[in-house]
Amino acid sequence: MNVSKNCNGITRRNCLQLGLGAMTGLGMVDLLRLQGIAKGTSAQQPKAKAKSVILIWMDGGPSHYETFDPKPDAPVEIRGEFNPISTKVPGVQFSQLMTRLASISDKFSILRSIRHNQGNHGAGNHYMMTGAPPRIPVGCGSFVSFHPSMGSVVAHEKPTINNLPAYFSMPRMSRSGGPNFLGAKFAPFVVSDNPNNKGFRVRDLALPNGLTDDRYQTRRDLRQQVDQLKRIKDKVAGDPVMNLDEYYEQGFSLVASTEAQKAFEVDGESAELRDKYGRTPFGQRALLARRLSEAGVPFITLYEGGWDSHGGLFKSFRSRMPAFENTIATLIEDLDERGLLDTTMVLALGEFGRTPKINAGGGRDHWSNAMSVLMAGGGTPGGLALGATDKAGYSAVERVLSPENFVSTIYTKMGIDPDKVLYTPEGRPSHLVSDPTPIPELFA
Amino acid sequence: MKSLIYQCISCLIFLSALSVQAADAPLKSSQLSAYPAKVQLNGNRARQQLLVTVLKENQPLDYTRDVQFKSDQPAIVQVSAAGVILPVSNGSTTITVSNGAQKIKVPVEVKDFDQRVLIDFERDVHPMFSRFHCNGGSCHGKQRGQGGFQLSMFAFDPEFDYGALTKESRGRRASPLAPDQSLVLLKGAGKVPHGGGKKLPENSRYYHILEQWIAEGATRAVAETPKLVKISAEPTERIMQPKTKQQMVVTAHYSDGSTRDITDLAEYMSSESVYVSVDEHGLVTAGSLMGEASIMARYLGNFASLSVTVPSKNSVPDSYYAKLPRNNFIDGLVWDKLKKYGLKPSEPVNDATFLRRVSLDIIGRTPTAEEARAFLQDSSPNKRERLIDYFLEQPEFGDHWANKWADMLRPNPYHVGIKTVLNYDAWIRRSFHQNKPLDQFTRELLTAKGGTWHNGAVTMFRDRRKPEELTTIVSQLFLGIRLSCAQCHHHPSEVWGQDDFYSFAAYFAKLGRKGRGISAPISGSEEMVFTSNSGSVRHPLTNEVLAPRPLFGKVPELKPNQDPREILADWIISPQNHFFGEVSANRIWADLMGRGIVEPIDDFRESNPPTNGPLVKALGKHFRDMKFDQKEYIKTILSSYVYSLSSLPNETNVGDSRNYSRFYRQRLRAEVLLDSISEVIGVPDSFLAMPANSTAKQLWTHRVSSVFLDSFGRPDPNQDPPCERTTETTVVQVLHMMNSREMYSRIQSPEGNSAKWAKSKMTPDQILEELYLTAYSRYPTMEEKRLGRSLFEKEKANRQQIIEDLMWALLNTPEYLFKN
Repeated sequence: MNVSKNCNGITRRNCLQLGLGAMTGLGMVDLLRLQGIAKGTSAQQPKAKAKSVILIWMDGGPSHYETFDPKPDAPVEIRGEFNPISTKVPGVQFSQLMTRLASISDKFSILRSIRHNQGNHGAGNHYMMTGAPPRIPVGCGSFVSFHPSMGSVVAHEKPTINNLPAYFSMPRMSRSGGPNFLGAKFAPFVVSDNPNNKGFRVRDLALPNGLTDDRYQTRRDLRQQVDQLKRIKDKVAGDPVMNLDEYYEQGFSLVASTEAQKAFEVDGESAELRDKYGRTPFGQRALLARRLSEAGVPFITLYEGGWDSHGGLFKSFRSRMPAFENTIATLIEDLDERGLLDTTMVLALGEFGRTPKINAGGGRDHWSNAMSVLMAGGGTPGGLALGATDKAGYSAVERVLSPENFVSTIYTKMGIDPDKVLYTPEGRPSHLVSDPTPIPELFA
Repeated sequence: MKSLIYQCISCLIFLSALSVQAADAPLKSSQLSAYPAKVQLNGNRARQQLLVTVLKENQPLDYTRDVQFKSDQPAIVQVSAAGVILPVSNGSTTITVSNGAQKIKVPVEVKDFDQRVLIDFERDVHPMFSRFHCNGGSCHGKQRGQGGFQLSMFAFDPEFDYGALTKESRGRRASPLAPDQSLVLLKGAGKVPHGGGKKLPENSRYYHILEQWIAEGATRAVAETPKLVKISAEPTERIMQPKTKQQMVVTAHYSDGSTRDITDLAEYMSSESVYVSVDEHGLVTAGSLMGEASIMARYLGNFASLSVTVPSKNSVPDSYYAKLPRNNFIDGLVWDKLKKYGLKPSEPVNDATFLRRVSLDIIGRTPTAEEARAFLQDSSPNKRERLIDYFLEQPEFGDHWANKWADMLRPNPYHVGIKTVLNYDAWIRRSFHQNKPLDQFTRELLTAKGGTWHNGAVTMFRDRRKPEELTTIVSQLFLGIRLSCAQCHHHPSEVWGQDDFYSFAAYFAKLGRKGRGISAPISGSEEMVFTSNSGSVRHPLTNEVLAPRPLFGKVPELKPNQDPREILADWIISPQNHFFGEVSANRIWADLMGRGIVEPIDDFRESNPPTNGPLVKALGKHFRDMKFDQKEYIKTILSSYVYSLSSLPNETNVGDSRNYSRFYRQRLRAEVLLDSISEVIGVPDSFLAMPANSTAKQLWTHRVSSVFLDSFGRPDPNQDPPCERTTETTVVQVLHMMNSREMYSRIQSPEGNSAKWAKSKMTPDQILEELYLTAYSRYPTMEEKRLGRSLFEKEKANRQQIIEDLMWALLNTPEYLFKN
């Protein structure tokens, strides 16, 4: 679960001192950088390049076999129906449906060796989404929150511009995607509307359909005239009405800001590009996410459920994956072409991988010993397939990484110290990540 | 400066230079006195902080930092400018304390200076980990420690810490063969890189103690070392003028009757550092604002405190308070407090504001135009009392108050099952509709038995399956004690430890369950909760089986076959447990008054004192005297004069946010706001999984989706504990009020008030009156009527659109969104 496990119980530091890092397949330069990061010396501090994160959350836990970690040499009951395909990077293979991503595999990294010990949805979601395992055992169907999610932490640490909310979640909130002790201010702004629909508008951020600008102006003026409640201006009074006034100001400027409003106009994109993303809710949401990140929103979650393939896995992947992976590939390409990939991260993952043996229903069950994660942008190297599972994909065995490492990497890339201590309203200190060690290989 | 100062006298001199209370007004008649009056120093490691006090106008003032100390025989003892005495050799002498011409002599005796006393881990070494903040939750005390070195949080587990220090890391942390090469010293002194910085400078007093302990073999214990019994603080109470200082002296008392000055080893914290702060040497500083704080000293799970009051500069004659109205006991107790600070209460509110307040508080919605008219036109002298009675009799009372308890109790249906939650919700709701006394409610809840489909009250035992989880919620809800800290470590600011926690948990050890347990996400089956014959709770460190025991007081012995929960429930609601009445009274008070007398409302502890101790006690007692009848208790508060005060400040109380000299504005709760908006619009909202015309307060689970309720905050049932509910305003709420398309279309609904009034024969004035009465519970002013009329008189005016626009405008003002 931890980096140190690679070295059979010898601590990470010893491991580095002994040069055992070489066993993990790192070159000398990497090793030096790794040491630098481990020591936390500022000169070798990994660079914080990313300004925003687009998190594609594949709820349910996508199979690692049928995505980025095919096992052609495993027996058929493990290998499954799909064949591996070559990718743009020699030696790195994906599963057969991942054609579009394979063709641009030099633009992102695949992590094949994150593993943890939370094999049910509630707990797995929590661990990957917050970097902290649940404090008490939780059930599969549970939606739990013991720690602020990555999105809420980023919203807390990174101010947004244009008065836009700092953390969007579309079309719903992900499990464990909430603010926990950080408070409602850092909860995600949920946009449930489908940008693939005609006349798409984001709820509450734009005027409701039918309300003309003129009438809106009338209402604004009227509001000012009927608002007669006396304010207690002296700051020591702590009058909550003063905050309300500030938020109304913000709200009005958000509605008036053409820049902010433009962020939502997916129909301002060329038909060609919209087609390329795919005329699906997810496709258009990914395009909207790109526009939001351009407008300065630091964290956007695209929630896509339905990856809990206990049965009929191959059929469902065949029908769903081509469009889905095309959208991700298009998003990465689009960001890259606009020169935004350096400052925008794209992540695609779920809470865990799937069991090696295909079950009677033609599906795979929950499996947290192995999973695959896609990471692009924000200084993430292209073409890297980091770590490995064993021959049959049972377990991550090489360069084993934890959810803590993963979440620390995101924070570090966003310029947030994963070792930072935040305090709950009760004054209890809480580290952002208990093991704040980012993954050095992911800093190009 | 941050690191270590104990032995470092020069630093203490520097500190004393900061002292604001100058000795420029030498005392005439008042006499200097020293604490302790006689100093006994045993052994070469002893020390004693002196405290010098002067009585001035019957008020003790600290002069420790203003007087000069001189050792009369420096060969026997030394004394620092801050009054710390250290032994030099055996013998007796005196310290001269002088304040200008005034002098006193304090006798000092040094004994056993040459005797070699072995260092004992628990007595001498262990306290350092807390003092130097090694074992806090942000450092080595956190789970998995820091840099591979983990200590028990706040030193609650000496065995563990001893092991961490001596047995892990191949003994490199403490190496008796080369003590100065021990990692704990190298790191602590910052000689090798240490994330926590330089905590224990080389050659400091405590560096030497640690080094010597390692050199002596780093043993677990020295035979016959006396055990710590308690600690005490001096002084325990003070009135401090703004910007003055007060030294604390903290003493440890041991099992052999001996004492030690531990002023430099204790940890200090202030309950309200805005008013009174404390530094790591126990030097207390009053700020510039009037207020109160409790200063806690903590030492190995023991506590001692000093309560400080900083009086205000306002001078209001006593006669002013004598003349203030007293509707009931609440007023007198609040006036007593205001008098202490020279605060004057704000003016009472007018009828309309009172009406809106009472209606929102009792039934959780704004009054209808009809209710408002009836009250505003009523000219009887007891109309306010009758208004309170009227609302208390409305059926919405039950839903509004059940909704508050549902926040705290009702679990996620995805976890325990839909039918189970429906049953539980129905049981909670029924209890409030019946105005069930709170003690009865509590007892029924805590001793519930039977099937989840037949007795909703058992749900807590289905949801929380371990004695530990039950202990956490029960202690917080019904005792106002956050025992949860003590599950894993000693409570950081209270006396409760793991033995208290697990002995309490033992009351739930014999809970039996039959049937299908949790099988999320459906959890569709029924489960039976009963008393089983077996089951026990063990102490996590000692593994000893613990007998059930309340936190304090006496309980009858458990009879054979008796459910231990009955004993617990009876103890909780019994008069010997004052916490139950007080936390219950405080919770309701906070709801009505905008702030708890104890805040957070369920965190009662000495280090978090109430802002008005007599008041919270009296309210708790009154609630008990009322036999925990919630309607009666609510009526008492609402009938007080204090409840009727305006939120607008006068010349004395703008800064008062704790003493109830004025009303504190509150943003309306999500459900209250949504139901009230429906009233103004004239169209009910609709919810999934609910019958038509249901109100938001009637929702049986927070999982019924509603963007509105989510925006305005309802407890997240995914969060543990789930009872937190935001009262903040956020920009998301504002955006939803402004631009929500649901509200936009509901406002213009053909069934709504806008269409109804537009089509009617009502004159603009009548429409305006109806609008203002429904939204603000008051008549429009002349000015407001003029404005409204002008809209209707415009050319091509569309009546319905004007009403819609006005409605939108009124709903989007703080006068609407807040309880004022």
